Order: sequence, then C-alpha cells, then structure tokens
Amino acid sequence: MFSSYRYVDPLCGIRRPAPISRGSKDAIATNPEKSDKLMRERSIRTNRKHKFVDCLSNQDVNIAELRKLAWAGIPNELRPMAWQLLLGYLPLASPLRAATLARKRNEYTSLVEVAFARDREGVDQQIWHQIEIDVPRTRPGVRLWMYGSTQRSLERILYVWAIRHPASGYVQGINDLVTPFFQVFLSAYIDSDPEEFDPALLPKSVFNAIEADSFWCLSRLLDGIQDNYIFAQPGIQRSVRRMADLVARIDAPLFSHLESQNVEFMQFAFRWMNCLLMREISVQNTIRMWDTYLAEGPDAFSQFHLYVCSAFLVKWSEKLRQMDFQGIIMFLQSLPTQGWGDHEVEMLLSEAFVLNSIWHNAQSHFNGK
Amino acid sequence: MSKQFQFKLVLLGESAVGKSSLVLRFVKDQFDDYRESTIGAAFLTQTVTLEDQTTVKFEIWDTAGQERYKSLAPMYYRNANCAVVVYDITQSASLEKARNWIRELQRQADPSIVIALCGNKSDLSARRQVSEEEAKKYAEEEGLMWAETSAKTGEGVSEIFTAIAKKLPLTAPPSARTGAGRAPTGPKSVDLNKQPAGQNSNEPCNC
Repeated sequence: MFSSYRYVDPLCGIRRPAPISRGSKDAIATNPEKSDKLMRERSIRTNRKHKFVDCLSNQDVNIAELRKLAWAGIPNELRPMAWQLLLGYLPLASPLRAATLARKRNEYTSLVEVAFARDREGVDQQIWHQIEIDVPRTRPGVRLWMYGSTQRSLERILYVWAIRHPASGYVQGINDLVTPFFQVFLSAYIDSDPEEFDPALLPKSVFNAIEADSFWCLSRLLDGIQDNYIFAQPGIQRSVRRMADLVARIDAPLFSHLESQNVEFMQFAFRWMNCLLMREISVQNTIRMWDTYLAEGPDAFSQFHLYVCSAFLVKWSEKLRQMDFQGIIMFLQSLPTQGWGDHEVEMLLSEAFVLNSIWHNAQSHFNGK
Repeated sequence: MSKQFQFKLVLLGESAVGKSSLVLRFVKDQFDDYRESTIGAAFLTQTVTLEDQTTVKFEIWDTAGQERYKSLAPMYYRNANCAVVVYDITQSASLEKARNWIRELQRQADPSIVIALCGNKSDLSARRQVSEEEAKKYAEEEGLMWAETSAKTGEGVSEIFTAIAKKLPLTAPPSARTGAGRAPTGPKSVDLNKQPAGQNSNEPCNC
C-alpha cells in the first residue's frame, strides 16, 4: 500500500541509518520457513550494503567507487538513486540534486505538453499507431503494465522519445526497455511490489517524477545504442557479426555445429541485441544485469552486451550440439531461464567479464577479415 | 505407406494484424488477447494430414511486422515454399502493406512460391474496412489463394493451412532437406558476414 510516501524526494539523498529492507522484512513476516535463509543472506549483504550507504551518503559521490560497488549488484532500496547517478542523470554532488531533478522533470512536462499540444490529432500518426498497438502488449499479464495509468505513461514516454529521435523513431522492443526503469523508480516511493501497484494511486507529482526520470534515463541508455534502431539496424548487424566471430573462437565445435545445421546467428541473436536479452530472462534478472552494465559505463549496452550474449549462447553449448536445426532454433527461442536468480545472472556476467578482458582488444583484428 | 512432405512457410504482414496469433491458433489451438510483439522472427512447426493420409509438415517463420524490421525478411522468405501474407480486415492500410509484401515476394522470392492472402480478425466484421469482394478480386488478379480467418475464434485457420498444403507440389519430393534454414547451395559454408540483400553496403569498418 501507498503508506510511506516520503515528502522529501528519496532520490535527492539517502538518510542514515540505511533504509529498512522492505522486501525481506515482508517475506519473513509471511513466510516463516524461509526466514532462516533470508536472514543468512541478509547478513552476508549487510557489509556490502553499509559500504553502499557510505558511498551514496557522501556529499560528493565518488563515481569510481560507486561503479566498483554496483558491478556486483545494487541493494534494491538503493538502486533508484544508484542507477540515476551511474547514468549521469542525477548530479554526484548532493546539494545540486533537488534543483536538477526539478528542472529535468519540468522540462519533460513541457516536452509532453508540446508533443500533445493538439491532442491526438496533432501527433505523428505512423509513430503513434505503432506505439498504440505495442503498449497494451508490453509485459502482458503483469498488473502494473495492464493499468491504464501505466499504459498512458508509457505512451507518453515512447512518443516523446520517438519524435526527439527522428532517425530511429519508435522501434518495437524499446517499449520493453522502459519497464525496468519505471519499475525501479516506482519502487522508491512505495512499500509494496511495484509489479502489482497502480501508479494512479500516487500523488500526481510523484507519478510525474517517476515518468520523467524513466524518460531521461531511457534516453541516456538509448544514446549508447541508437544505431540498433535506425534504418537497417547497423548496430545490431555489427553486434551479431562480432558475436559470431567471437563464438567461432571461444567455442569452435558449437560454431561449426550451428554452421552445419544452417543456423544463422541473426535468426536468434537479433532479438538478443534488439531487446537486450529482456525476452530471454526475467525483469528481475534484467534489473540485476543492468546494475553491472551501468557500472561498466556508457558503452556496456552495445560492447559488454555482446560478450554477455556470447557467454549466454556458449552456456547451452553441450545441449545445442546434440540438436538439429529445428531443435536449436526452438530451444533458443524459449530458453530454460525461468528459475534464474541473481546467482545465475552473476555467473553469466563474470563469464562475460573474462571474455571481455581477453578479447576486447583483439576484436579489431578479426573485424576486418 | 503414407507420404510425408516438409515445406517452409513464411508469415508476412503489417504489425498487429495477428500473424503470431494465427500461427498460435494453428500450432497450439490457443489464443491470447495480448501477446508480446514478435522481434526478428519466431520459428514453429505444425503437421497437417490430408484425406489421402499424406502428411505435410510446415516449418513456419513468423516474422516481425514493423517496417524497421523489413530488411530481415529476405532471410526468411528466401527459401520459402509458401507464404501467408496477412492483413487485418478492420484496417484498410494493412491491405496496402500486404500488397507491398506480395509485390516483393513476386519479385524476390522463389518463382514457384505459393502465396496465400489472409484477412484476419473476421470476428470483428462490425468494424470491417476491407470488403471480401475487394480482397478476393485482388487475389484473383494476382493468382493468390485467399481466405478470411479469425485467430480468436479459430474460424478458417486450419482450413487455410490445409488448402496451402493441397496446393503445394506433392508429387515430387520437396528439395529442401530437414530443417535447413537455407537450402544448401554449392560449398556448404555460411558466410556470416554476408548481409541480407541490399543492406549495409557502405557501412564503415568498425576497427
């Protein structure tokens, strides 16, 4: 329930002692048999969380330190602020934050006003049509995304972004990329599960803040991968090619098996690049993955991501090498990641890290072949 | 002994006309009001048995509808034996898109490809913008199969796939071997750096 609205914006700064950890507290109350495990997990995390709180409470956040900490995962209650800092949206100096947030949120409000100045008649019909048909099928089945309030908000975010980026406009899949931001920022203002929450219950100023922050952070993320979405999608073409080159080197038997079965990387990896693996893993997995991507820096969603995708493919190597074309394609389009938690994602990220360290400088050699 | 055949089928058409829903109805006999948009393409298979016990297995590529993904389509229709081009009977613009796809198939795909034009969402005939006569006349002019379907109610769905199966050349064994994404041609290597036709010819090197 919306019981603990903080009148001081939680994104302007954090207060010591560390905010109570909502998720695990609720889980313990309702789920006594799990409490032991949760307590243990919590105590392991306490140390790291203290470091995080120290880092984020500095008047001038040390970004290098924050990156280092965030790489290994950000505690839920600190994530909204940490993401905004890592994206360079929220100023590192805490005295500047309130004013910057107010300015960016007002700016977004004016962008919306201008974009919809003449109501639905004035909008670009082609872009609007595509957004209108995609919004109701964004994360279907999840309550948050079925509420009219969230859907109108998603429409505004996507439309304003699209008209400000005419070279790409709105491309399917960008709708998916809004959802982690919206959900994470919403969690800063409520105590319950954001996936069940109707944002219409929020005070208007809070709803606007979440929407505006989601818009600006989405914009920053997309700045790094815009050529994924322009005509002919050269960014994706390049990433898929580089991924194939890399897999040929790190797992030659898999590569030649795929080749012998006439499987083309584009047939499965296109989606992995276009939706940043969001169709392959859960939103919770994605959110954890983005902690590391944001810590890696602005290129991570194109560069580091291709190492993640390569490690992800190679993970299934043994199974894939037993399959024929049909088996491979069907397996790759519904991968058994339903049970994945932080641990599996973290394994994947470490494998990608190793690949990145070994191969990143070598890429330029085999690109030109 | 019954004969078994295998054919590649590609679905094309504008976004949200119901391509994935049509396939889901055909393959799993299911329907969801809202499904995530298809990104790139999805692969499914389904087998139909004809009256003479001949079985026809369809290997189906269900492609993404948005214009931005158009450059991927040749990879999927390149070796297709048949294509289902879908429009939404409540959106006249979607028939225009279907015509564009048909023109492209007639120019670029295998000349023997069997093309079916399919008007989906027949359950929404109260909001109809495309008349049966208009679509049928166009299909006749172009020598296409034509039917209206409702993925939601299931009306006409298995019929159109069965009709396609009957129209395919069931005398000669199909040339494509099991499951191949592309028919093996010449030396059996796939050049992964090669782009689908007409793309990226002047993309700069990214060294």
